[in-house]
Amino acid sequence: MSVLITISLLAILVLYLGLFKAKKALLPVSILGLLGALSLSFYEWGSYAQPIYNGMMLFDNFAAAFSGITILSTLLIFLLSKDYFERISSNIAEYYTVILFSLAGIIVMVSYHNLTMLFIGIEIMSVSLYILAGIKKRDFASNEAALKYFLMGAFSTGFLLFGIALLYGASGSFDLLEIRNYILSAPQEVSPLFYGGILLLIVGLCFKVGAAPFHFWAPDVYEGSPSLITAYMSTVVKTAGFAAFLRLFLFCFSPLSEFWSPVLVTLAALSLLIGNITAVYQQHFKRMLAYSSISHVGYMLFAVISLNGSSDTSIFVYAAAYSIASIMAFAALILLQRQVGTDSFDSFNGLARKNPFLALTLTVAMLSLAGIPLTAGFIGKFMMFTSALSTYHTYLVLFAVLNAAIGIFYYFRVIVAMYFKEADRHELIVSPYYRLVLGLSAAATILLGVYPELISRLI
Amino acid sequence: MINLVWLIPLFPLIGFLINGLGRSFLPKGAVGFIGSLTVFLSFAVSLGIFFELNGSVTKSFTIQLFDWIQVGNLSIPFSFQVDPLSSLMLLIVTGIGFLIHVYSIGYMHHDTGFAKFFSYLNLFVFFMLLLVLGSNYVVMFIGWEGVGLCSYLLIGFWFSNPAYASAAKKAFVMNRIGDLGFLIAIFLIFNTFNSVEFAKVFPQAASLTAGSDVITLITILLFVGATGKSAQIPLFTWLPDAMAGPTPVSALIHAATMVTAGIYMIARSNILFTLAPFTLDIIAVVGLATAILAALIAITQTDIKKVLAYSTVSQLGYMFLGLGVGAYTGAFFHVITHAFFKALLFLGAGSVIHAVSNEQDMRSMGGLKSKLPVTFYTMLMGTIAISGLPPFSGFFSKDEILAHAYEHSKLLWLIGVIGAMFTAFYMFRMLFLTFFGKFRGTTEQQAHLHESPASMTFPLIVLAVLSIIGGFIGVPEALHGNHWLAGFLEPVFSASEQRTGASHLDHSTEYILMTVSVIAAVVASFIAYLRYARNNHVPVPDTAERTAFANVSYNKFYIDEIYDALITKPLNILSGFFYRIVDKTFIDGFVNGLGRATAEAGKGLRLLQTGNIGFYIFIMIAGIVALLVYGFYNI
Repeated sequence: MSVLITISLLAILVLYLGLFKAKKALLPVSILGLLGALSLSFYEWGSYAQPIYNGMMLFDNFAAAFSGITILSTLLIFLLSKDYFERISSNIAEYYTVILFSLAGIIVMVSYHNLTMLFIGIEIMSVSLYILAGIKKRDFASNEAALKYFLMGAFSTGFLLFGIALLYGASGSFDLLEIRNYILSAPQEVSPLFYGGILLLIVGLCFKVGAAPFHFWAPDVYEGSPSLITAYMSTVVKTAGFAAFLRLFLFCFSPLSEFWSPVLVTLAALSLLIGNITAVYQQHFKRMLAYSSISHVGYMLFAVISLNGSSDTSIFVYAAAYSIASIMAFAALILLQRQVGTDSFDSFNGLARKNPFLALTLTVAMLSLAGIPLTAGFIGKFMMFTSALSTYHTYLVLFAVLNAAIGIFYYFRVIVAMYFKEADRHELIVSPYYRLVLGLSAAATILLGVYPELISRLI
Repeated sequence: MINLVWLIPLFPLIGFLINGLGRSFLPKGAVGFIGSLTVFLSFAVSLGIFFELNGSVTKSFTIQLFDWIQVGNLSIPFSFQVDPLSSLMLLIVTGIGFLIHVYSIGYMHHDTGFAKFFSYLNLFVFFMLLLVLGSNYVVMFIGWEGVGLCSYLLIGFWFSNPAYASAAKKAFVMNRIGDLGFLIAIFLIFNTFNSVEFAKVFPQAASLTAGSDVITLITILLFVGATGKSAQIPLFTWLPDAMAGPTPVSALIHAATMVTAGIYMIARSNILFTLAPFTLDIIAVVGLATAILAALIAITQTDIKKVLAYSTVSQLGYMFLGLGVGAYTGAFFHVITHAFFKALLFLGAGSVIHAVSNEQDMRSMGGLKSKLPVTFYTMLMGTIAISGLPPFSGFFSKDEILAHAYEHSKLLWLIGVIGAMFTAFYMFRMLFLTFFGKFRGTTEQQAHLHESPASMTFPLIVLAVLSIIGGFIGVPEALHGNHWLAGFLEPVFSASEQRTGASHLDHSTEYILMTVSVIAAVVASFIAYLRYARNNHVPVPDTAERTAFANVSYNKFYIDEIYDALITKPLNILSGFFYRIVDKTFIDGFVNGLGRATAEAGKGLRLLQTGNIGFYIFIMIAGIVALLVYGFYNI
């Protein structure tokens, strides 16, 4: 619980630092604070097995693990933010603060035990994200992204809230345990309102994680937002969304899985198809990443579809692998955008000759995203496919494997461009922070790919 | 001592590792010493085991090293079997192996790949020992494949010559065909007996009725495996080509040890074959046909190693004839004696080739008797032995096979004796062409003529002695012997003999048979003497006209050409068709089409992303409506 408190206080502290013009201290303080929060989430490992604050929150190992991975991803993104915000605006402290606030919302999302807390967490996170998307005040695309995100987000929040209301109407409680007991007490007599509530919650949550057909905001918002914010949205936010999703469905709705799992199967297949096929045609790295993130949502939905004892672990491993690899990809993207001015696939040509380290780490990232063995991404996909197979979703897995093959096409495009296409280019300057993030992430990706037991027994 | 059996394959493996890893910096002396020493140590252990086994009451030991494969009801231990059959084979492999290693020190001295050669040779010995020692078909199969690999590597040892490299490839491919048969046989054995352990399969098999379909199928498949490894019709054409390898390789792998693996395997599985009389008939016919065909080819060959190669094929055919007529002891007896004299003959040929500056064509030899006295006299012993003249070793073993063949069918015996006549003829022809008359090579070659060094003549002498006296381990009762070998191998073949019944020819018949075959051999060698020693007849050059028969024989009955026309060409045409039409057009077309379709679909789907927020919300609503409709019908 102290994780949430630490992060909230840290956000306020950073805001005050900005007020007193201590610009140099912003990043170190944020990083130190996050390191503190990270160690607290380790420290609180296994200390809470029961809900706290009158059943509002439950900081169990599930919550601790997902807090850990989201904080870690945020840390990596902060390391990339050196000199980033200064270039786009003068109000730097606010950005760190807003990101930290959204992280606080995320901590709530992964540890809620009451639907009101879920809603509050999602809203804290979302409102911060609306601001972050529009952080380039004078940039038309950034403004457009923020407005689109806000409009559609508000729209989807309505469904989320309506769903929660329906659940309350049927069960008479917001508490997860009460709702679960409501289903278990009379599984045959669950009110139709309740089913409606489930469907609307699916809509709301699928919007947040960006599953098709509720994904339309994602490519536009990802494209328009500053790349670092896009990185944050497509990794940390997505992980949190899935944690919230899984917590609700694993704990409450699993007895009714016969009702909702066909819906999720359809949405997963649709996300895989739309994400992958559209990504194939993209000419820009950032847009490709945006669409491919939709396809990853499809893979991650597998864990919700085939609920079993290892669903939480498989989502955790997948999210960790995906986040780490995506952060590497975004780091490369930021370098390219800043120093070359474009992120088309052609701009990668000949990169391996001038920046062998960057090319190598980016290759590791692409291999991991494509799910090639000996990378963490392979382990993630493997666990997803195994759990889907264990519940006999054979056709879904077949379909997903075909889609993974399509994925290889567009991920390998980057590798091919870097290694096999020649172009006259200058060496990109990779700052030490970027080297650190790239090196650590690549090492972690390989390590988890070779020795997945490191985290797969965590939860 | 028997518990130390694992040392036997271990030594050559160590030798392989040392020589293989140190090939670039170990001096040649050390390489040769290590290579030979490791095999000698194995030989010493084998000798110890042999004597212990000979004195022991129990005749079969299984030494389990570790559990290798444990899946479900499939259990394959990595274990060795020591019994009379394997202990004799161990002595042959390590003993002759050691002599040939010593010989190679001299023979390969000038070769740049000296250490590579020894490491391959050691590896070969290791795999051959696995093959011999394995107590189940799977371990035997590892050895079987391993020796095939080493054979490939050593045939292609001078791979920069494309003809040698393709000879290696040919040997490998033809062996693979046989290996497939062996492999399927192993699957069938497991399927039938639920085990691949000899100790479990054979007792179960012994209780079955003879001639059942599954046993017949298993044995035919095993025999297919044997035809590949032991160069029988139809898979024999690789062995003559395998002479591309260095001569010690021909002696060790392609005469004394590896090519007899097929006979060893069938002798090992004798009970299965005894239960399949149909297969035995096939084996006898194929063996005899191979023996005759190869002999007919050998009589006109002019390459000294080719003569020996076809002679090997022919002798292997005799061994299969022996197996086919149920003379398991006789066949294995011939394996032993053949190992002695054929290794001797090959090493002798190597010594000759060494002396005449790598010339292999006998038309350019002649008159070497005085220049290479040791080589000549040892090869003379080998020639007499292979021709089947008493009391040399070949006489006893070949006679035992022919006697059993006579018992089985007089026709088989008659053809066998004719083949033996040919054998005597072409062997003496080779001897006379090489060592008698005048030297027909260039003056440079003549100036360079020399007897080989001691490291090469020593193995020749040892093998010559063995070729002379080796037959005394199996002197038949008719000649007042007690056939020690038959007694020693009795536990291995007893189950088969109980079924067939050990019938005996009466002694007078045996005397007649022996006399006939000896007279035949003497007559044949005398003809060879008249033609090639007294009249100094030399085979005509390649360009000259030949009689029709000589032409067919000289061209090896055009079997390579027939295979080429019947199998290789159609296969090439077929694969060309598959490549151009099926692969390029259909499969590539399909795959590329999928890719194009994906890209096109992407182009289309991309247009959904209009940027118009009203449209986005419209699609979302459509999705939500679909969900609610679903919910409405599924509550």
